[in-house]
Parts: sequence; structure tokens; C-alpha cells
Amino acid sequence: MEKKNLIRNGEIVVYVDASLFSRDVVIKSLYWYGDKFHTQVSAEMNAYVVVLKPMANAAIKEEDLGYYLQKFERDIVDFSLREVVNKETTNIRELLVAKAFSNGEFDEAPPGNVSDAVGFDPMSIPINDAR
Amino acid sequence: MAEADVITKNRKFKELGFYDNQENNVYFLLPMRFARLNQEKEVLVNEVGDHLVVREGTFQKIVQRELNKEDDPDLFGDLVANHFISESRIPPLIDVLATRYRTKKAFLNNFTMLHIFVMSLRCEHTCHYCQVSRVTQDKDKFDMSRDHIDKGIDMMLQSPSPHVTMEFQGGEALLAFDNIKYAVERVHLLAGLRNKSVTFVICTNLALVNEEILLYCKEHEILISSSLDGPAFIHNSNRTRPGRNSYELAIKGIELSKRILGPSRVSALMTTTNLSLDYPIEIVEEYYKQGFRNMFLRPISPYGFAVRNERKNKYETDRFLEFYKKALGRILEYNLAGEFFTEDYATIILRKMLTPFPVGYVDLNSPTGCITNVIAFNYDGSIFASDESRMLAEMKDFTFQLGHLDTHSYEEVFYSKRALEIVSTGINESLPGCSDCAFQPYCGADPIQNHATQGDMYGYRPTSSFCQKNMEIIRYLIELMDKDKAIAKIFESWVKSRS
Repeated sequence: MEKKNLIRNGEIVVYVDASLFSRDVVIKSLYWYGDKFHTQVSAEMNAYVVVLKPMANAAIKEEDLGYYLQKFERDIVDFSLREVVNKETTNIRELLVAKAFSNGEFDEAPPGNVSDAVGFDPMSIPINDAR
Repeated sequence: MAEADVITKNRKFKELGFYDNQENNVYFLLPMRFARLNQEKEVLVNEVGDHLVVREGTFQKIVQRELNKEDDPDLFGDLVANHFISESRIPPLIDVLATRYRTKKAFLNNFTMLHIFVMSLRCEHTCHYCQVSRVTQDKDKFDMSRDHIDKGIDMMLQSPSPHVTMEFQGGEALLAFDNIKYAVERVHLLAGLRNKSVTFVICTNLALVNEEILLYCKEHEILISSSLDGPAFIHNSNRTRPGRNSYELAIKGIELSKRILGPSRVSALMTTTNLSLDYPIEIVEEYYKQGFRNMFLRPISPYGFAVRNERKNKYETDRFLEFYKKALGRILEYNLAGEFFTEDYATIILRKMLTPFPVGYVDLNSPTGCITNVIAFNYDGSIFASDESRMLAEMKDFTFQLGHLDTHSYEEVFYSKRALEIVSTGINESLPGCSDCAFQPYCGADPIQNHATQGDMYGYRPTSSFCQKNMEIIRYLIELMDKDKAIAKIFESWVKSRS
């Protein structure tokens, strides 16, 4: 049964569908709430249950909780998109950094033949004439 | 060779279709990060720090493959050209991208350049925020000995960098001017043998400066880095000394220094305090009035006495950011009126955003600039990972002491387990909160500040004032450029190299 996110007794409770969002996405989103909230996350059937309880010294009013609930809902989507990019680009990033710090062992010859930008082809010169 | 062959091989003027590699509307993502700028816009930043401001929701569209070249050719073209997406699995320009990545990190190539020599802890000022100074006549106890100066110079000249900077700090460095002369002359003797060029800088409040000292500085090409906190009522309140005339002495010293050395060889730094935060406009106008056409809006460093004197020095980062924006606004007004007047912190960040060049600024480097870019030799011969870490040591926290000039070799200092530990915690590419941050290529990592303010070197971004400050300043600079093309032009002029 679908459970709805809610604000209860001064706490924010969020049900995150585990078939749609990963544990990493939940934890990465939650990380940014640690300055203002006691954060708690637990795993239930097909869901992560996130509870955000405002810290006493954070000066968060009851009426602000709706804003933070909406922000958290947006954050898990944002971090989920970032996760897609991270996953899809892991190899290319590793290749990029390896090439950047290599001593040429990963370099490839540029595609195409050597030519001159104005149309002169140096390869067309017979070796004997070039001397 | 047949003429037809030659024509097919030359690479000029291909039709647009030649570059159209997209098949079936497929594209591949390249490493990139995103952040929301405001309600309407978001910014995409790629692995080498190129940024693109786009409409809110664009990142989602890109990732979910909802982008179509026919429907939005301009955006698609921008994303391909700026290496956010590629039409082939391996982008054809990956070697260019790799070279750019290497260039961005080229500040690491030469290893440590800045060598701070704390010539004396003695000072005739008693500034309430100062972390280290002592009002004393005891030269033996609080001045760097000539033996330690020799050893420090030896260590400095072992740096792999062909160019090093020797910065004389204090207390008030000019109280030990004889030792500065001794050090400069020794370096002149030895630097040539090691094929090193050396830049000298004296950091001074200028209260003690005179013509003789400045003529020596001129002869030996020594730069002067002084302090100016704003108009007299701010400067004198921040920098207390007998006679309450710090401002008058600083102005007199700056004028004399500029006259003898030339304006380009004299700079001033401001220290921001609680009092300063109420006077952003007045401070900027004071710099302008004194003939400076650049200034560095610095927050107070959270070290030493500054940490302990909470009532006077602890201020909210929010207040600093408000101050920063107002002061930057005034600086931009001068620019809009036709003056060239830069703010140094913004310029450092803008150089990272708008140019392909490496920017070696200790506080915004990743890997961290401490050790890899700067080292500090304290007055007593102890060696620290940075200027700030010797200030922590004054509070009896020796976490960042790497050794001592009497007992440790170059290798034992720079390649020690401690040095490795410090630097490995200062890589924002792999820090929690930073690794996914869009502003990562423009920011840095500061394990020493993390340790001082949060108790561990990795730090905790949600409560970090370093993070809060940099995220907002970076976001604000991008927003300004996006909203006002005149400001974008001004910022571009700030990062153009000037000879």
C-alpha cells in the first residue's frame, strides 16, 4: 500500500520507494539536513523511511516543516539524476583522468591524415623532391 | 598523387552535415554536475569547469534523454560544444578534454612555491583578532635565529619548483629587518647555484617602515604586502597600538612605499571584523581613495586568538556574505563608471570559471594548497603545513606541525605520513558533500580550517562556514553574469592577463 509523506508531531516523515531510489541517493540527500535536523532512516518493505526531527537550536517553526518536506522530496530526485550521470560517466571520467595524468601511454594519433588547413597535402610531396 | 586524393584529405570547410554524428537521437552523457541558481535557472558544470546557465529542468531533460537536436538545436549544440554530452560513446575531443583537465591541475606541477618565514613574533600592535603576536623586547626568544634562517633557506631551495616565493611574516617582520637583510643576501648567494628564481615579500603593517628600508627593498626587488582595513575609525579600532595612529602610519607607509617601489609592488590586505561588516561601502571607497584599484574582501580567519575572542570576532557567515555583496556591488559601480577596479577573491574564482588556466590559490585548491603549495617555518624553527597551522600551534594544537628545521630533512617533512594524511583529506573530488557539488571545480578543500572549526580534517559541509561562504559567492557570481551582460564583460576583463 502506498504511504504518503507527512508531518506528524513536529517531525517530517518521508517514505522513499526503494524500487525507484537507491540507498546512496537517500543518504546523500539526508546528509544536507544534518545541520538542522536529527536524521533517521530505516528500511521497511520496499521503502526507506526517513524521519527528520528539528534540532532544538535550529529555530525551525512548525509552519516551516512543509517547506523542508518539499525540499527533501526534490532533493532525492536531484540526487537520483546525479546518480544516473555518475553511473553512466564513471568510465569516461576514469579515462579522462588517466589520460590527463599519463605520460602519453594512453594517447592516440588524431583521426585523419596530416594535411594543411589551406588544402596543401604534405604527403603528396615525393620524398626525392623534398630534399 | 591524384588531385582528388589531396582534396579528400584536407580538413578545411566541411559541410555542417559532416559533423552531424547523431544517430537516432542518441547521445551520451559526459561527467557533469548541476546546481540550482534561483527559481528560474540552473547551472551545469563539466569536469574541466566550463559552465552553462540553462532553464530550470534542463538537467533532468538531459539525463532522461528528452533532449532533441531538432527541437532545441542551440541548447544541443552548446552542450556538445562544451563537453556536457557527446554524440559518440567516446567524445572525439577526449584528448583535448584530458589536456584541459591536466592544465587545470597544473598548479601541482612544481610542488611547494610559497615559503613563509616567521621572522619574529614581536609586534608593536595589539590587535584584538591577532592570533600570534607578542609585545616584547625579547629578541632571543621570539625572533627566528640565523641558524634556522639558514636551514629554512636550504629547505626552500630543495623545492622542485624553479621559482619560489620567500615571504617574511610576523608578528611585525620589520622588527627583525637585520635578519631579513641577512636572509635576502644568503638567498642571493645560493639561489643561482640551485637554478632558482626567488620572489621576496615582506608582510608588514608599515608602522616602522622608512626610506632606508624601502630603498633596500627597491634594490633587492622586495614586494611589500601591507594592511588596510578601511577608513581610520575602522583601521584604528581593529589595529590597536600606542597612540591609536595605526591608520595614519599605514597610509604614510603605503604612500612612501608606492613612491619608492612603484604602485605595482605595494599591495594591501584587509582583515574583516565585526565592525567592518557594517561598512562595506566605506571600506571600498577608502581603497579607491588611496589609489588601489584592487582589493581582497577577506573573511576573518577562524584561528588563534580569533577563535577565543568570540564576542569580538565571531560573526555569522550570512553577515559576511551580505557585506561581501554590498562591497562587490560598490566595486562594480566603479567599473560601470569606467574604472578598472577588481576584487581579488571574485577574480580567483572567475579565473577558474572563465579561463583554462590553473589557479594556485592556497585556500581554493584541490588537492589542498597546504604543503603542496605553501609551507611555514615558524620563529622557533618548527615547520607547519600552512600559516594558519602555526596559529593553531599558538593554541597548543600541533596537529599540523610537520617537523623541525633542526631535526627533519626535506623528505621527512614533505613526504611524511602526516603530510600525506593532511593532503589526502584535502581533495574535494572525493569529500562527502563536495563530490556531487556543481561548484567543486571552482572551490577547494581546507583540512586545517575543518579541523580548527569542526574537529576533524574531512569536515562536515552542512555546518561548514567555508562551504557556505564559497557556495554562495560562486552562485552569486554566476547569477550576476547571467543577469547582467555588462557585469559579465567586467568580470571577463578582470581575468584577462595584463602585462
